[in-house]
Amino acid sequence: MDVVFDYISVNTFWSILFIVHALLAVALLGALTHQAAAVLARPRAGASGFVTRFRSVSAPAYATAICVLWVCAFVLGGWIYAKYRIYVRIPIEQEGLFKTLGAFELKEHLTTIGLGLLPVYWHFWKNARNAAYDSARKWLTVVLAVICWYAFLAGHVVNNVRGFGL
Amino acid sequence: MNTLAETTLAAPPSSRFGAFALVFGVAFAVLYVVCDLAALPLFTYHPGTDRIDPGYAPARRDEGPAMYWYGWLASSALGATLLGVLAALLPEKLRAKIPLALAWMVPIALLPVLLYSLKFYWRW
Repeated sequence: MDVVFDYISVNTFWSILFIVHALLAVALLGALTHQAAAVLARPRAGASGFVTRFRSVSAPAYATAICVLWVCAFVLGGWIYAKYRIYVRIPIEQEGLFKTLGAFELKEHLTTIGLGLLPVYWHFWKNARNAAYDSARKWLTVVLAVICWYAFLAGHVVNNVRGFGL
Repeated sequence: MNTLAETTLAAPPSSRFGAFALVFGVAFAVLYVVCDLAALPLFTYHPGTDRIDPGYAPARRDEGPAMYWYGWLASSALGATLLGVLAALLPEKLRAKIPLALAWMVPIALLPVLLYSLKFYWRW
């Protein structure tokens, strides 16, 4: 790590890590939203327009990418989390913004539970033609999409509260 | 080209990996919440000093906060892996009886518990 800090400052290093984490989250959010839209409302034949195109994706093709993105975003988030605990959470505590902290704690819990569900999510989607999985696959995808949206928004709020590169 | 019957039966819900993945996911979620509520981390990380203590350890004076999240993650992953392997070893008849809906119902059922566990933060 010291070699890296010969070229960039410590703040720049963690800022880059955070930006990559956020970009992975954006990609994950987009993929999961497409997939959830596809399972919730299958497009009607002959229909056109933005909404129809949005949900007309090949949902099974997204599954592996979603698992990889979730794991990568999670690992980076877990790495940053130690710094967050000292340099972000403590100042927010001192400002008395406890609901913001609680929202972020909930994000931490939900994304962890989501991580544990990835193997079964992947299994459901790898067997996308198996009708027995249809209902569980659909609702698990929706649950993961909701978790992802919540995590994205909670992380965004905390970033707005604390600022960037402080 | 596979017939519809072949593709439909390509991977029965009772496959060993399917049973492992389902039980792992459900057990991981439940164990994670239990570890959180009962303070059962496999280890405690002190980010201020990079110290790792086995099990639960309170924050040390003048050494900053203690972090339990990594330890909860490890505890629940360990327990869920064991339960997942046990589920995979079950006879096919029993594996087929594990409800698939648990995969999405359990996280939803745990949400109120998580919200309650964070009640300290919801002060007005």
